[in-house]
Amino acid sequence: MRLFARRHGEATFARGGVHPDERKELSAACAIEPFVPRSVTVPVSQSLGAPSVPVVKKGDRVRRGDLIASDESGGVPVHAPVSGIVKSVDSGIHPVLVLDLSITIEARADEDEPTFPEQPGWETLPRDALLERIRRAGVVGLGGATFPTYRKLMLPADARVDTLIINGSECEPYLTCDYRLMLEQAEEVVLGAWLIAKIIGVPRCLIGIEDNKSDAGAAMTAAIARLALDRRDHPLAMQVVVTQTKYPQGSEKQLIQALTGRLVPQRGLPMHVGTVVQNVATAFACLEAIRNDKPVIERVVTVSGGGISQPKNLRVPIGTMITPIVEACGGFTDEVVKVLAGGPMMGRALADFNAPVTKGTSGLLFLTRAETNLDRYQPCIGCGECLDVCPLGLEPSKVSQYVEVGRPLETEEFGVFDCFECGCCSYSCPSNRPLVQFMQVAKAAYRHAAAKKKVSA
Amino acid sequence: MSVPAPNLHLSTGPHIRRGRTTAEIMWLVNLSLAPALVWAFLVYGWPVLAITLSAIAGCALAEHLACKVRGIDSTVFDGSVVCTGLLLAYTLPPGMPLWMPFIGGALGVFFAKTVFGGLGYNIFNVALIARALMMATFPVEMTTAWLTPELGALGGVDALSGATPLVNLTGDREGTGAVISGTPEGMAHGLAFLVGLRPGSIGEVSVLMVALGAAFLFWQRIIKLWIPLGVFAGAALFAPWSPDPLLYMMSGGLWLGAFFMATDYVTSPSTPKGQLIFGLGIGLLTGMIRNWGGYPEGICYAILLMNTLTPALDEWFRPPRTAPEGTPS
Repeated sequence: MRLFARRHGEATFARGGVHPDERKELSAACAIEPFVPRSVTVPVSQSLGAPSVPVVKKGDRVRRGDLIASDESGGVPVHAPVSGIVKSVDSGIHPVLVLDLSITIEARADEDEPTFPEQPGWETLPRDALLERIRRAGVVGLGGATFPTYRKLMLPADARVDTLIINGSECEPYLTCDYRLMLEQAEEVVLGAWLIAKIIGVPRCLIGIEDNKSDAGAAMTAAIARLALDRRDHPLAMQVVVTQTKYPQGSEKQLIQALTGRLVPQRGLPMHVGTVVQNVATAFACLEAIRNDKPVIERVVTVSGGGISQPKNLRVPIGTMITPIVEACGGFTDEVVKVLAGGPMMGRALADFNAPVTKGTSGLLFLTRAETNLDRYQPCIGCGECLDVCPLGLEPSKVSQYVEVGRPLETEEFGVFDCFECGCCSYSCPSNRPLVQFMQVAKAAYRHAAAKKKVSA
Repeated sequence: MSVPAPNLHLSTGPHIRRGRTTAEIMWLVNLSLAPALVWAFLVYGWPVLAITLSAIAGCALAEHLACKVRGIDSTVFDGSVVCTGLLLAYTLPPGMPLWMPFIGGALGVFFAKTVFGGLGYNIFNVALIARALMMATFPVEMTTAWLTPELGALGGVDALSGATPLVNLTGDREGTGAVISGTPEGMAHGLAFLVGLRPGSIGEVSVLMVALGAAFLFWQRIIKLWIPLGVFAGAALFAPWSPDPLLYMMSGGLWLGAFFMATDYVTSPSTPKGQLIFGLGIGLLTGMIRNWGGYPEGICYAILLMNTLTPALDEWFRPPRTAPEGTPS
């Protein structure tokens, strides 16, 4: 008999982290619903890196899935999320970049609407063909980082990678889009992961899921058993690892440590410790890209927060504007003071509702005064809380004090360049200091100084 | 667009914060100091409350005026200056004239806090600067205005002119083993010190009450134990030279200093190693001053001296980086 039932996941990263209110109950029970707006506005920057180049012009007729911006610039291909008429190719709002060249398409269903059926022989495609389909489909990291997936999977010849990690942590409060995907389409996620493992040639795959989503973990485990991955042409040992619910469990380097115990070096990449990490939604997109030859033209978005009448998990075309989403979710319930693209820890605050969903938009949160933080900040009292919660062992308090007195170029030793802006420090600061912003200011000062040096040299 | 956009706030993330503010922390510290005050009131009567209020009023006035001069909102209610006033009062003898704590508190806050820029910018523990100033200004009252404790005698207790009990414990004095005046007859000195039935400073009289407040702070995760551990360890090294090592370690001043003064966030280091060394330094200096020096309560100066080392300790003992250094192969 076990005296102490292991109710909680054991695996976690070693240092720091915080436990914000999860608030996932608002939308956790909402099954994924499709929603198609009357028009979409698609920014050409859909990945980390260069913007893509429009290949359509005003008045063109496009079908769902047609290429509308090419990756010749070094970005990723962008496809028409809906069939219809190109209304404009013009400057528009981008949730992260503020402004971006955007293609507006008025939806008009085609007589012969593309359905993206399963392609015969997809399971036995060679590695290069798999990779090419992922590139062609414009798959990017859908957890929010939007790094082009084919580039992440194109490992250098000398890389020794043995483990694929699938990230189902969804450690940001409020967000439930990955949770619903794992619950409702577990087999697709597992098959997508299997394809990725095949591409990078690893025998082992670990799926990290926090213990507040144990039903999703069970669904994934059942899907793994049904699909008999160990008896396929690329045999794969896949396993769900239940981790502690702790932010930022879903951060790449923290998840690697939680699942494998390996530590990615400062400024190193997951492949330096033999791992590749992909989000569950990205695995799903890889499957659709390969099995159905379907580009990334839609994604699941969690619409939540105390300010929205009916929180939902919507599968929307890329480029869907916030306004129709608000209408589809019953409008506001209370005074909304902040609208976020992404989660409340790392998401971006939006200036107005004329912003579209991009490939990196995991959530749209409508926060009321009571939910968010608009308090003023005070001087650092040296409590050391930020030092305790930083998962990397950096010194946010010191960075903030140096920036405050106008010495941002002396902050490297406190770790500014390693900071990935998870926000544990600001979240915990009793003086409400915007420590992430101070980090950003310091980084910008270094960038500015480097640019100046280049000019004068 | 049929949905009107509200006025939206913009900022970088995170957009939520954990509930505990600096002011809440400060008021929790003040709450943790309450048991000692209640006990002092029970054994010494009304003068205790009057002196405490006087110290707080002096501190608050200086803070308020400084805010006015700087043209910022008054910070009197952030709990910090009340905490300073409380801590100052706790180091004072209960029989001293009421105007003295007021002057001491006001000057202490002015010189140690406001001129540095207010909360967060001071180098020295504010309450202890105030106490050191009073020690220099009112030497007689600071060392002789003791009252004989009498549980429940709220009205009047006897004034007791004489040295603080700790003077009897410094190494080079006689009186070893003698009856410490003002403790209940027949009661073991150790017990008298523990519960607080002896002449002493307001907040230091009962080790038990100080420990109770400290336990609350630890439970609330406001303080960590590295600094107090260091203080006790450092002080203990000098205990063998004390005529009564037990009483030496049971002085309320050591406890109040270790848990409430040395742990002041602003003037103490932030990492465990730095905190341990900071505490050890305080303990050693306290033992040194008590053993060889003229002041029975060495901890006040020990903390002020170690305050000067805080920036260096923070620089020498950094948090360990999680990610290993070096270019990946």
